[in-house]
Amino acid sequence: MTRQIGRSSGGPEERRMEPSEAARLLAQTQSYARRSLDFTAPWVSLVAAVVALASFGIVWLNVRTQHPFTGPSPVSLVCFYALIALRIATVIYAYARARAGVSGNSVKVEHNEAAAMGAALLVCYLLLIAIATGAHHSTGFYWSLYLNGTLIALATIWAGRSAIHKNWQQIALVVPVALIAALGAIAGPRGMWLVNGVGLCALLLANAAIGTTRRRSGTRTDTVHTGA
Amino acid sequence: MTADALDTLIHVPARLQIMATLATLPDGDQLSFKRLQDMIELTPGNLITHLRKLEDAGYLTTSKTGSGPASRTSVALTHDGRQALETYATTLRGLLNGV
Repeated sequence: MTRQIGRSSGGPEERRMEPSEAARLLAQTQSYARRSLDFTAPWVSLVAAVVALASFGIVWLNVRTQHPFTGPSPVSLVCFYALIALRIATVIYAYARARAGVSGNSVKVEHNEAAAMGAALLVCYLLLIAIATGAHHSTGFYWSLYLNGTLIALATIWAGRSAIHKNWQQIALVVPVALIAALGAIAGPRGMWLVNGVGLCALLLANAAIGTTRRRSGTRTDTVHTGA
Repeated sequence: MTADALDTLIHVPARLQIMATLATLPDGDQLSFKRLQDMIELTPGNLITHLRKLEDAGYLTTSKTGSGPASRTSVALTHDGRQALETYATTLRGLLNGV
């Protein structure tokens, strides 16, 4: 393809730029576009951190004085699930907002992955119910299996998905989730709510801080990338 | 190397913004006309003019789905467009570094 180089076609929209101005515009446009199209925004992580601390914290406050452990009360479980539903709603909202107007292969892949994660969560629950009803265990065992088992299984599946996409940043986020859940299992039926709540909150806050720092440095930099 | 070495089709603020925005999408993805317009804040008429120039050069493709008020126009960067932006950015880096 041949192109006339170095000639302006004229007109107000055709004005030429200085190379430094062009470099700045290119970097700013790409930085803005990446931010706009990214649904894993820092505020989503921030909401998730608050939700994790509040939801697990409410249950922990309910069970921490139970001797023997009898499990969370229905009221605390309603609060727990309401907060989890809030977390899911914020992710769906952020996704719909960021990906509005985008179509193509990556969107199809994201939808398939979301369906796969939903199916994995369902399989996890069915397996846990089968294990729980297969033999008699203590209430603490059921709840540890239910909470920590689900978190470890989902984090492992998501880590596998991230490895396939070579998304090391996501792996760095989900592997600690599995480790926190494993620590929760060690902490026992009462302590696990606190360990998971504080652990996930700290992890998500760190993720939000890293995301904010990256976005700020991306806005400040004048380096030229093409995203290709 | 002088600024004349830069691809004049891309070296215009609006078209550079269009190309840079579309380049952030993965290969095979498209952006709707409306979303692109919102992101780079151009009037529809202006955007169409610039899109036509880029499409004529083979830098992007537009596709229309549906008909009537429900119709939707999507825009995607072609392989040539991605390559042209890459070359443009490399030339720009060279100019800024005094090569």
